[in-house]
Amino acid sequence: MKAFSKYWSIFQITLINSLAYPGELIGRSLMIIPFMWVFYQLWKVTFNAAGAEIISGLTLRDTLWYLMLAETIELGRPPIARTIAENVKDGSIAYILNKPYDFLWYQFSAAMGETIFRAILNALFGGLTVWFLVGAPKHIEGFLIAVPAVLGAWILHFCINAMIGLSAFAVEDVSAFTWIYQKLAFIFGGMLIPLDFYPQWLQTIAKTLPFSSAIYGPARLFVTPTLELFISVISLQIVWILVLSVILVFIYRRGLTQLTVNGG
Amino acid sequence: MKTLQFLFAIWKANLQSVMEYRVSFLSQMIGMMLNNFIYFAIWIIFFDRFKDVRGWGVSDMYVTFGILASAFGVVSVLFGNAFMLSEIIVKGRLDYYLSMPKPVLLHAVSSRMIASGMGDFFYGFLSYALSGYFSWDGLLRYVLAMLLAATVFAAFLILTQSLSFWFGMMSNFSNLVLNAMLTFGIYPITLFDNYAKIILFTIIPAALMGAIPAEFIRVFTWQSLSQLLIGAIGFLGLAIFVFRLGLRRYESGSAIQVEV
Repeated sequence: MKAFSKYWSIFQITLINSLAYPGELIGRSLMIIPFMWVFYQLWKVTFNAAGAEIISGLTLRDTLWYLMLAETIELGRPPIARTIAENVKDGSIAYILNKPYDFLWYQFSAAMGETIFRAILNALFGGLTVWFLVGAPKHIEGFLIAVPAVLGAWILHFCINAMIGLSAFAVEDVSAFTWIYQKLAFIFGGMLIPLDFYPQWLQTIAKTLPFSSAIYGPARLFVTPTLELFISVISLQIVWILVLSVILVFIYRRGLTQLTVNGG
Repeated sequence: MKTLQFLFAIWKANLQSVMEYRVSFLSQMIGMMLNNFIYFAIWIIFFDRFKDVRGWGVSDMYVTFGILASAFGVVSVLFGNAFMLSEIIVKGRLDYYLSMPKPVLLHAVSSRMIASGMGDFFYGFLSYALSGYFSWDGLLRYVLAMLLAATVFAAFLILTQSLSFWFGMMSNFSNLVLNAMLTFGIYPITLFDNYAKIILFTIIPAALMGAIPAEFIRVFTWQSLSQLLIGAIGFLGLAIFVFRLGLRRYESGSAIQVEV
């Protein structure tokens, strides 16, 4: 319990810190508005051209609310890989390592603290935009039901991004990995097109990968909040979190053996 | 002529600087090409399912995506500081450029090369080659359209970031309009109604970076060429005017620093 309280304190400090520059926070969150507007234009034309009210089980309204939550998850998360890579490259990791807390738990608590208000504001601006364009979500309770899955999505994002950040132990620059990860998440996570609209063979592949648990799962759960889907999304997330956490800890320990601290 | 020589000297120095870390340079370049390819796969999936958006198909997307990537790449490689002009102004780092006997704006924006831009630049050509619209005269139009689109883009960056002379740090606003420019530029222009199109030619000139150059590459028309030329000259003129106007308000940072 005591161990947990220090990470809770780190989380609280970063959470309060993220409010230090409200203009910055709001300005960043406004980006979701043009995205949602463009999505609306694209999908309105697409649904009209298809001459269908429902495509693969989703209406235009469902699709827009799905994309709103997917964008909220993506735009809400802080640049964990870059932060960790900087810690490794500039040596500041050494200052964290000699403190009485675990490096990975520290980064996780700080990242979650940064995420909360970003995500709330993105959901607020994105939600208002979509509400104005297509009306209220069909299942407003889906917001609450999707919350655990959104938390699971952020944990998954953290595991993968921390791995990318720690690769700075081996390579000079990790930015290429972060771009590629982001785009893989776009495709296999169903970030711009819901996975339901993909060809069947690609859906099958995408739905088993961790990217779909990090974006598609929570967003689909929000528009279709059924018990079966909730169990399926959460259980797949747990499996991927366990697998990726083990790999992350392994990479972290391997990385530490390569670390040389020259004082200073 | 002397200015051109000066520019070539700066670009050469920038290239040598990024090539100092070859692995990083190559990983950024190849990584960006891969990144663009994976991103474009989304459009392939989309058009595989929905075929066309008001007459706009996947081949049109190849050309639009390609020209946008190349124009973005040209600005990143040759005028990388255009993305950071706001920060340079606010932190008083223009002092360095003001003390030199060269055009301040040109010197400032060309003093940095973003290595990943090289990946964007080459990817654009690849995308055009795969579009099914490739022809040798089309390639010449591609190069011309890329230069004009890059001019519009660089001017847009300078214009929005120069607002820092009046409003201080504008990184959020700059990011917002940059993202809007790239997002709107990449989507089929047939999606938008006439009011939206007016915005896409003026306030956020994304049409002059994506749809119009793509149209010009596919088929030569005097209309699209004149739209591009007027856009490029007009936005560049406006950007230089606003920067010069803002420069009168500039306050020295009095900071001693080394520009690297």
